Amino acid sequence: MGTFDFLMHGFSVATTPQNLIIALVGAFLGTIVGMLPGLGPINGVAILLPFAYALGLPPESALILLAAVYLGCEYGGRISAILINVPGDAGAIMTTLDGYPLARQGKAGIALSLSAVSSFIGATIATIGVVLFAPILAKWAVSFGPAEYFVLMVFAITCLGGLVGDQPVKTGIAALIGLGLATVGVDAVTGIYRFTFDSVNLSDGIQFTTIVIGFFSVSEILILLERTTTGHKVIEQGKRSLLNFKEFTFTLGAMLRSSLMGFVVGILPGAGATIASAMTYASERKIAGDSGTFGEGDLRGVASPEAANNASACGSFVPMLTLGVPGSGTTAVMMGALTLYNITPGPQLFTEQPDIVWGLIASLFICNIILLVLNIPLVGLFAKLLNVPSYVLLPAIAAVSFVGVYSINSTTFDLVFMVALGVFGYCLRKLNFPLSALILGYVLGELMESNLRRALSISQGDLGILWSSPITVALWILAILMVFMPIIRNVYRKRFKQSAV
Amino acid sequence: MTMERAFSGLMALVCFGLIYVAFGYVAPIAYDPIGPRPYPILIFSLLALLTLVVAFRPARFTQVIDLGMNKAIIKNLVLCVIALLLYGVFFETLGFPIATTLMSLAVGLLFNGKLLKTFIFSVASSLVLFVLFDILLDVKLPLGLLSGIIG
Repeated sequence: MGTFDFLMHGFSVATTPQNLIIALVGAFLGTIVGMLPGLGPINGVAILLPFAYALGLPPESALILLAAVYLGCEYGGRISAILINVPGDAGAIMTTLDGYPLARQGKAGIALSLSAVSSFIGATIATIGVVLFAPILAKWAVSFGPAEYFVLMVFAITCLGGLVGDQPVKTGIAALIGLGLATVGVDAVTGIYRFTFDSVNLSDGIQFTTIVIGFFSVSEILILLERTTTGHKVIEQGKRSLLNFKEFTFTLGAMLRSSLMGFVVGILPGAGATIASAMTYASERKIAGDSGTFGEGDLRGVASPEAANNASACGSFVPMLTLGVPGSGTTAVMMGALTLYNITPGPQLFTEQPDIVWGLIASLFICNIILLVLNIPLVGLFAKLLNVPSYVLLPAIAAVSFVGVYSINSTTFDLVFMVALGVFGYCLRKLNFPLSALILGYVLGELMESNLRRALSISQGDLGILWSSPITVALWILAILMVFMPIIRNVYRKRFKQSAV
Repeated sequence: MTMERAFSGLMALVCFGLIYVAFGYVAPIAYDPIGPRPYPILIFSLLALLTLVVAFRPARFTQVIDLGMNKAIIKNLVLCVIALLLYGVFFETLGFPIATTLMSLAVGLLFNGKLLKTFIFSVASSLVLFVLFDILLDVKLPLGLLSGIIG
């Protein structure tokens, strides 16, 4: 079967009535979660993950739900960015720069519909990219042995260090904490209990849901508690709520360029929507030159980051599906979802679980259409939800988080442990340790150790196997480059500044 | 000393403790060449190293972090953590509806809710969530104190 047949098969999975309803619900919830300031895609996916599992959804439906929420969040973030000048999620930070000025000029409706269209174009182009590249990459990656895998994961983690956060040391610490947490529990090879401190509740390792919800949901509640909630004034949508053809063609070039760039950035492990939207915004401003009114309400300034953040969200599925290495914090959580179902993500997924892979890819197309249709007419309804007071919203989020954690094992221990992790996560966040690195480390931890040990079993303890093949050598070089990336970047920046003076 | 240094130093100490614990992990029979011990030691040693770097690096490499803390915020945070901890501890014994109402009331008040309004919303949302999860979505939740009264 060729790619096209597989894709058609995927559509037949994604268009069953149950999966369509799931995609619709996910898209709707995702838009709301993405729109609410403070709650981003990781929170949305983390909170919904245990329910997908507890409801007994088959793995492909669970992934479709989570993917719909993920994409929905990227759509939703722009609504609050444009209407109240507060990005709903990190990917929408750049959207506020031109979106809010447009709204104040009475063009909120145009900005909203334009950003919906550019989100759609970005995500669709990236999904086509997934269809074209993922099978090729998977075919190539099948030949990876445990040594290659181990080095690939090292590369993924150093990549994160080079790209996320201002201080690579802190990213490294966060990733190592994640790797360390993953060692808790019974050792699969020898049956020895590690770091369980004689607690039955830890013998199976720390539950993935406890970690994600503790670190993201509980710490988020604490972060939000700090900011005294000031009433935001939601701007009216203005006279015209749809963009016209001229505005569409004016921004089309920016959208297409940003989509491609977003897709490429999305594929890189660790670099997510935030970096993609910032990069494309900067480059579009450069391209526009003096003719642009960037920062004061340029339509391209709304179109390019929105196209890019949705494209990178879809692009981040490529490494997750083909290599089993997530491309973003959110896909790391989704990978955790797969492991709940005892499915190990990796290149063999394409041949062993075509339902899951192609069902998911096809549902990305479908979710996009659903989201475009939902977002243009219903934007007014979504905007009303921004007025829900936090004393109603936050307790409800807390309750749903607790229910999610409780639904997996039904123990009090998990609930208390989750709060403790939340407090720890809060401290880390306050001190600028990026939690997305931690979650990536946790997801990769077990795989990394088992691949390392398998590789060394093959070589009977000879470490040389870790750099014996051309692929491993290339990956080591890339990994080392990534470690020095921030230093190179700093030097480059300083030179640039000097020459500018 | 900044919070960053103190916190990193503390993490380094915890790491040393964990490395010490990890030295005891010896498998009775060697199933594979490296066994369960070296990997955790490797990870926590690297972590200890990096946290020590953050704890002791020269000031010019650090960025000033504005924690934005004052007494009122810290008080609220502590109260919120206590409310969530108690919610976790009494989730089963009190049952979901009662525990959620109490937690929502406490957290809602911390988020500047008015007493009466917050109370009404707390009762309403705990009931709505219970019906949604336990009855509609079939995620079983504890009834606790109410178990004698309902179903």
